[in-house]
Amino acid sequence: MTTARLGSVRDVDWRVALRRYGWNTGVWLLLIALLVFYASTIPSFGSFQIASIAKNSLPLVFLAIAQAVIVIAGGIDLAVGSMLILSNAVAAQLMDEQAFGITLMVAVLVILMAAALNGAVGWVISVSKVPDIVVTLATLFIIAGLALLVLPSPGGGTSDGFRALFTGSATGTGTNFWPALVMLFVPMLGAAWWMKHSRTGLSLYATGSDPTAAYLSGVNTARAKIVSYAVGGAFAAMGGLASLAITGSGESRFATASNFTLKSVAAIVLGGVALTGGIGSVVGAAAAGIVLFVLSPVLSAMGVDPNTAQVIQGALIVLVMMIAGIVQLRRERAA
Amino acid sequence: MVPDISQPRWTIWLSDHPLVVLGSVLVVLVLVTGVIEPNYLSVSGLRNTVLLAAPLGIMAGAQTILMLTGGIDLSVGMIATAAAYVAANQSPNGALIAITLGLLVGVAAGTVNGIGVGVFQVNPLIMTLAMSSILIGLFTALSFTVLQGSTTVNDFISTLGGGSFLGNRIPYNALVWTGVSLLIVYGLRYTGFGRLLYALGDNPVATRLAGVRSWQVLIVAYALAGLLAALAGILLAGRTGAVDLQLAVNFLLPSVAAAVIGGTSIFGGIGTYSGTVLGALILGVLATMLTFLNAGQAIQQIVYGSIVLGLAWLYARVTGVS
Repeated sequence: MTTARLGSVRDVDWRVALRRYGWNTGVWLLLIALLVFYASTIPSFGSFQIASIAKNSLPLVFLAIAQAVIVIAGGIDLAVGSMLILSNAVAAQLMDEQAFGITLMVAVLVILMAAALNGAVGWVISVSKVPDIVVTLATLFIIAGLALLVLPSPGGGTSDGFRALFTGSATGTGTNFWPALVMLFVPMLGAAWWMKHSRTGLSLYATGSDPTAAYLSGVNTARAKIVSYAVGGAFAAMGGLASLAITGSGESRFATASNFTLKSVAAIVLGGVALTGGIGSVVGAAAAGIVLFVLSPVLSAMGVDPNTAQVIQGALIVLVMMIAGIVQLRRERAA
Repeated sequence: MVPDISQPRWTIWLSDHPLVVLGSVLVVLVLVTGVIEPNYLSVSGLRNTVLLAAPLGIMAGAQTILMLTGGIDLSVGMIATAAAYVAANQSPNGALIAITLGLLVGVAAGTVNGIGVGVFQVNPLIMTLAMSSILIGLFTALSFTVLQGSTTVNDFISTLGGGSFLGNRIPYNALVWTGVSLLIVYGLRYTGFGRLLYALGDNPVATRLAGVRSWQVLIVAYALAGLLAALAGILLAGRTGAVDLQLAVNFLLPSVAAAVIGGTSIFGGIGTYSGTVLGALILGVLATMLTFLNAGQAIQQIVYGSIVLGLAWLYARVTGVS
């Protein structure tokens, strides 16, 4: 009797652990498998490839983190891509021909500006009671328009030191992969820790999971919404800065903005963040962001042409989601 | 919703008649545009707006049907482009074959979306997003091989999409739009299928427990959305005369915006197509106005976004429905 009870309790614990960490672990295993496969298909896999993958996945990873924080708190931000190009445009204009110290200050300013602007978007959502998806659909256009005003045609620039900060070299290509890896993991782990362990971070989970219950237990849900959008804006700005460091100049095309937004949504869903809010983690979303980026070099290493690669990429996302759907369905039937 | 007694009478009346709010906004926008450019308040000026709004309105119809079920279609832009591409490619074989094949492409893509969402429970955002990226890749590849050749549409399609009758007064595409609108409004209001769409968006669990096979409804809904998107794409190709792979991509977000402005809830169960029609017309007038103002693309985007936001806010305030 006692052993049976103990057994069942342990059984439940194991299931809880699987439900909580299973998806996350799965995404990281998928990433590792992809990387191992990639390493085996190309003739030489070394520090150059690691640096290239780490730095080029930075913009999407930052956007995935931005989207994850906002979606976990119960929102969705279709304008993260616009915020990326706006930060990219502002930084490219202000950093052009400047010394490293000044570019760093500009970077901090840009991040603060994006956080304030997106925090204001969060405020509008909580005051107007208009659904997040509608407000951010509008700001997707507004912010992209601002970016175009700031930088009408591709151009601008940054300092060599700033490029090295994200990419490991002044030219943006090289074999030093440490800076890119640090840029990848430090903000990600920082955001993850903040989400899971700080009072504010937990209030975001609470608000996303059940706003009414959170409000009744004393969580300031309006503040949680504003904070989630502000943090999301800051990470979107990091994405814009990273892409400036990678290419060395700014651009503000609307297509880039909408494309990045769509990819960020795909990344968080693949990363196990529920679009209904309250479930998932920043770490899973970041891993999925890298997976989405790594797919293209892997497919091109296999000799697939870019167009077919895009078809395969889309089909793979659907396939993964279908499997997840079936798993979910079976779990519901079993419960 | 329960009327709030503390509210003034007129807001209660307006919340019962949301179309009046939209209609007034439309009239005000038309008049403002008329002040900016006096020539606009003429048959040909208004004709141009309708010409602009018709493909958008049809595409927003697809969006409305799906938003009622609690879904969304982010692939309408690419479905429309794909259909237009096929129609242009088949144009030498006659309009009938070209249009039929174009529409079939839309139905096929929509059906796949429906299977993903209905049977496999994939989130509609992700399913249609992935469909969009699949179609981009597929048609870019195909445009170099199988679909090489004609990128201009034949005369019948260009008349249908861009021509007018009654002494250049009424565009043909407005005629198509009117027909489609009547069908959608009738279908949503008076058929069992229409009511199922509302039911599914309102409460999927209750609908399932009532014995509805949701997956079948969803597959048909997404296939219909694909059909409408394809029709819009073919009309658009007719208006521009030639197709490329960017043809309808910029219509995706406005199609969602038109439905949202029209009062369709993004969470499902609430909305009408007549609202969406007004939403599409509002966006059409707005586009015309900004062209008259000679506003650059940046200003256009900012104004456009602000108006979507402002209207949604106003709408939420007046009707109390989000």
